[in-house]
Amino acid sequence: MKKKQSVSRQKPGSNKPLGVRIKKYAGFYVMFLPILVFAIIFYYLPMLGVRFAFTNYNGIKEPKFVAFENFSKMFGMPGFWSAFLNTLQISVIRLILTTLVAVVVSLFLNEIINIHFKKVVQTIIYLPHFLSWVVTASLFSLILAPTGQGLVNTLLVNLGLVDSSNMIYFLGSSKTWRGTFYAIQLWKETGWQTVIFMATLAGMNVELYEAAAIDGAGRWGKMRYITFPALANTILTVIILNLAKVMNLFEAAFVLQNDAVLDVSNVLETYIYYQSFNSGSIPNYGYTTAVGLFKSLVGMALVLICNQWSKKVREGRGIV
Amino acid sequence: MKKKIVSLFMVAAMTASLVGCGGGNADSSSTTDSAATTDNTASTDTSSTDDTAAADDTAAADTTETEAEPAADDIEKPEEITVMIDGTVFTKENAQAEFFAKLEELTGIKYNVIQPDHDAYYDNVGQTIASGDWPDVIILSSTYYSAYAAEGVLWDMTDAWENSELKKRQEAHNSTGVVEGVKLDGRLYGMPTTRGNGCVTYVKKAWMDNCGITSAPTNYEEYLAMLEAFTTGDPDGDGTNGNTFGVTAAGFIGTEAPYINYLPEFYQDAHPSFYLKDDGTYADGFTEDSMKAALERLADAYAKGVIDPTTLTNGTGDCRNKFYSDNFGVFTYWAGTWASNLKNNLENNELDSELVALPPIAEVGTYLDRVPPVWSITSTCENPEGVFKYFIEAMQDGGDVQFLFTYGVEGKHWSTAAETLYAGETNDKGESKEKVYAEGEFHMLDNLEIPGTQYTKAHIDPNLALVELVDDPGKETVAPEAKASAELFATNSVTADLIPSTDAMTEYNGDLTTLKNEIVAKVAMGEMTVEEGYAKFEADGGAAWSQQIVDSLNQ
Repeated sequence: MKKKQSVSRQKPGSNKPLGVRIKKYAGFYVMFLPILVFAIIFYYLPMLGVRFAFTNYNGIKEPKFVAFENFSKMFGMPGFWSAFLNTLQISVIRLILTTLVAVVVSLFLNEIINIHFKKVVQTIIYLPHFLSWVVTASLFSLILAPTGQGLVNTLLVNLGLVDSSNMIYFLGSSKTWRGTFYAIQLWKETGWQTVIFMATLAGMNVELYEAAAIDGAGRWGKMRYITFPALANTILTVIILNLAKVMNLFEAAFVLQNDAVLDVSNVLETYIYYQSFNSGSIPNYGYTTAVGLFKSLVGMALVLICNQWSKKVREGRGIV
Repeated sequence: MKKKIVSLFMVAAMTASLVGCGGGNADSSSTTDSAATTDNTASTDTSSTDDTAAADDTAAADTTETEAEPAADDIEKPEEITVMIDGTVFTKENAQAEFFAKLEELTGIKYNVIQPDHDAYYDNVGQTIASGDWPDVIILSSTYYSAYAAEGVLWDMTDAWENSELKKRQEAHNSTGVVEGVKLDGRLYGMPTTRGNGCVTYVKKAWMDNCGITSAPTNYEEYLAMLEAFTTGDPDGDGTNGNTFGVTAAGFIGTEAPYINYLPEFYQDAHPSFYLKDDGTYADGFTEDSMKAALERLADAYAKGVIDPTTLTNGTGDCRNKFYSDNFGVFTYWAGTWASNLKNNLENNELDSELVALPPIAEVGTYLDRVPPVWSITSTCENPEGVFKYFIEAMQDGGDVQFLFTYGVEGKHWSTAAETLYAGETNDKGESKEKVYAEGEFHMLDNLEIPGTQYTKAHIDPNLALVELVDDPGKETVAPEAKASAELFATNSVTADLIPSTDAMTEYNGDLTTLKNEIVAKVAMGEMTVEEGYAKFEADGGAAWSQQIVDSLNQ
């Protein structure tokens, strides 16, 4: 019975010989060809570089095969483990925080009745997304400076919360760096994250709200029983999609970190960077490739896990 | 049928667009070859090449001693040289084509120029070397120089230099020590054109006066007392005590050798990295007591507030801006022309601009002259002897070629014509920027890439050159403070050690440097004690990596 069903779901013509089908859709195949060539050249051929992970290679002499020696070294390096754990912690917390805050902000934005005011607010919160991380880092270095010229510390001193001789070095202390990083991340990306939630909210049927109002629901009731459930699927999708990318963290961490906070801010991509450009010598590209390959494998595992999760919670719809 | 035609049309369009992309890439790769590969042959009138080559011989014979005796040896002059240069030579925007056209005219050699973006220069060098398609000549900083020499990338030019006229010219200028300083195991793989230069400590004279300091500090105790006076008193005279700092720097430790040149008074005799001891063996200065004492001094001074609290996150630009804004009074920065830059910027901000360049305090002894960048010939160059003789040597001929590398091209970079620069222009304070030059008066021209600023040099800083330029018209244009600071540095500095590269260094120095920098920052800021810092150094593997590198250096 099952077999019959699967046969009946086949598209017309799919039982014809391959040659016939190719001939029939030749135009589409030809149209796809440039993309295929592009993908092979720019996405797949570079993957051959992963072979260097199993060699010692400094870019001058021929690569020397060392099997898993680079991986063995990698797992024995405290700096690697610190970077790996930092990557996971920072990325996951950042993902949860930005998604949650974006949802809350979207709900509030949705409640704004004055359309002009709403647009102004949206524009203001979108703008930081378009600033480069370098500019953002410079800006916050000034705002958070532990001197009389730092806006935040001056404010805290004036409020009597901090002593002027003991100002807080937000970006220069391991104790405060993570919190500061998340706050800057929220400031920069929350607005942009609301776009997708606002789109979902804009597509909702207003009759549901009218019906709820007739049933006596207030604002909170409407939000709780209509808006939030409607957003749930989108929230899940956003989290799943972003979870697959959590290992990719470089720019934000790199521009905001410094020597004193490396124990809490060094992530895998900045670790690779320092291995390549901070060695005072020609780096072993084999080792940095090994770290990069490990990062990619973890990323791929997360994608597959997310895909399975997605299929479960989204009724068979995966993300890949 | 219509669909097929449409699809074929779309494929053609997409293919064309991809080809277009490919074309773009080809352009940009030739730009990497570069932004970059400027084939100056194209920019030079080919028909005139023969003429100019003939003229070259005359010009070169006039100016280059090596050219004067071509029959004395059988070294063949190369027809074409591919050079890979950083932003210390004129960029395309700064009339690079004219510069190399003039060089071609003077030397009779065609130049293919590879000039990646200055900030990404060593990324590009690494990629170029890894590609196997090496240029003939390449500019390298000390770190990459020793690493590539160890890997056999660079041609050994020891014998060529020993037997050259260049060495005699350098001997006449007492500068062969600089060349000796870049030898590795007694062999020379690159030719510096200038001294490395380094930093001297500048103090605002007005601040000293306001704090009643009558003489420049000569030891650490006096230096620290001066910083404390600048921090707790009212050195800027704004009526408020304690709103200034003594000193600042871009980080507690530098990013390139010798690492300590922005805060020498605190580091004194300490070496945060590897160095050559008097007995001829290498050691990691980070593991020595002198470094622990230096960390104590940094932590103590930071706790007292005499070091700018934002030192950790400062860039050099931040430091300069704070200095110009009168936020702090002591700044260890580059000797020579920077003395003028600092002075001029203070004047622009309507502040007292008199600076005292301090001789090194007793505990420092001497400032450190960093190892200069070098011009190296790669080992795949087909005619290295010819490239050395007719290009590397010519660059320091004391005549026309050196003049070109010092001041650039007449009419593009310098002039002697009567003219007024910046007529009617004013600075931020509304003051006139106008500069009037009489006929015959040598002066540098307005920067083509950054209008509003004058060129100061082409590639070779005349104040730091290893060979004296005959008839140097720019000599008189050097500001007295720049000259004084350069002389102070020259008489009070020693060249930093050039550390060879080893496999163990390749293997561990990335992690080791990161760990050391973290410990220095945390100890200086009081987040951990010196003892805790060294315990971390031991526990995280730093001590073991350090020993392996030292062992490899001493093998």
